[in-house]
Amino acid sequence: MSISTEAGAPAGKAWKSKEEFLGCVMLTDWILLVVLFAVVLGSFHIHYMLLAGDWDFWIDFKDRRMWPTVAPIVAMCFAAAVQSFLWQKFRLPIGATVACLALLVGEWINRYDNFWGWTFFPINLVFPSALIPMGFWLDVVLMMSGSWLVTALVGSMGWGLLFYPINWPVLAQYHQSAEIDGVLLTLADLIGFNYVRTGTPEYIRMVERGTLRTFGKDVVPVAAFFSAFISMLIYFLWWKIGTWFSNTKYIDADEI
Amino acid sequence: MSLTTEKAAGSVRAAEKDTIVNYWPAYWTMICLFVFYVAIRIYEQYFGWKAGLDSFAPEFQTYWLNLMWTELPLEFIAFCGIGGYLWKTRDRNIDAVAPREEMRRLLTLIGWLAIYAFTVYWGASYFTEQDGTWHQTVIRDTDFTPSHILEFYLSYPIYIIAGWGAFMYARTRIPQFAKKISLPFLLFFAGPFMIFPNIGLNEWGHTFWFMEELFTAPLHWGFVFFGWFALAVFGTACQVLDRVIELSKEYEQDALSL
Repeated sequence: MSISTEAGAPAGKAWKSKEEFLGCVMLTDWILLVVLFAVVLGSFHIHYMLLAGDWDFWIDFKDRRMWPTVAPIVAMCFAAAVQSFLWQKFRLPIGATVACLALLVGEWINRYDNFWGWTFFPINLVFPSALIPMGFWLDVVLMMSGSWLVTALVGSMGWGLLFYPINWPVLAQYHQSAEIDGVLLTLADLIGFNYVRTGTPEYIRMVERGTLRTFGKDVVPVAAFFSAFISMLIYFLWWKIGTWFSNTKYIDADEI
Repeated sequence: MSLTTEKAAGSVRAAEKDTIVNYWPAYWTMICLFVFYVAIRIYEQYFGWKAGLDSFAPEFQTYWLNLMWTELPLEFIAFCGIGGYLWKTRDRNIDAVAPREEMRRLLTLIGWLAIYAFTVYWGASYFTEQDGTWHQTVIRDTDFTPSHILEFYLSYPIYIIAGWGAFMYARTRIPQFAKKISLPFLLFFAGPFMIFPNIGLNEWGHTFWFMEELFTAPLHWGFVFFGWFALAVFGTACQVLDRVIELSKEYEQDALSL
């Protein structure tokens, strides 16, 4: 027997009054937004930390080759997927910014509470990469063009190219050179050597890898440009993935 | 008690019973979980360094392995208990659910989803990245480290239980989810659930050839793949909203004017 009750509401109606409906809808909308934000935060964070995390965790991993190549490409996945959902279902051009904000909320809580609070690394060794301006850019392009194709081409190019410049104001000071015991290194390297991470020894630190070291001065623009190119491809793919995850299909029980 | 008082109390009870939305059970669950997570974080702060560095030491058994052997059975019981209770008390006449009751159940489901999202944050974000700093800092001599005991074997099962509860609530009480299986909801539950079995791959890999902790190592990519499926919250939310809109057609213009 159903445990339904119709008390108080007109027969066959869900709501007793317009006031009840409006109050409930507004509250529930907010709760659903928090649900979406928290799930995107968790999902994006586990994705980002396990595909680009090492470069994002540590100042001495934030180099000129790997970090500006990997981080924007990896971050693009969720920016595109969330944009796809919020744009196609709600015409909201805020998906990339929301995704970046969610990730950064999770990261900053962690860097303070765990990297600093539990394992005692200074925050200037473990602060996360800035991403919000890239999210703004991607959303503005989508809003002004109204086209995911244009966003994939123009937005993603800017996404990749913006990454290093927006991080540079914080990062520059750590790329100053230092000479310690006759060895030339950056201040970031020095901090890293002083705060030993036994579980991540120096031989697995992936920075400044490459054979043509004489090209050293030009690597950032090349890395950023390559990252932008791959970000374009990733945008196409993850826009579709975001669309697919927004599906509202039902299947029969005997299909599984 | 006088007849007047009884009548008044009865009408209050009827009004409470007819309340369309009550998120307080969800709020209280999240508050309790928050307090619990803060408490275990404090425990970890103290006993991680004091008793969690050498798995062969007797204090490791006392403070960490005992914790794991306590939490795992409790989680299994909670998983079975919640699923069993929801199935046992299912609506056996799902076609007769009145619109108001259906709306009430949809809103209760959103409360379940809020709890699930809350626990996904703690598991996938907070405790997982915390695991990075612990294992990149110290040398592990066991798969069952302090970080893993709270991350893999506590925070992950908790979000699985919350997701299972949400899924089973919908399957047993809401017509659209009971008559057919929602593909996005299934993925939203099953994808993050699969992160737990994937721990087997992770620990096997770390045990047999890779003791260091490089977080971006391919060994970890299984977590990433299954984590993607949490994005099926998009489709799940759309399915819930679609039905809310259907049941609220008469107020469509009022909603649009907000």
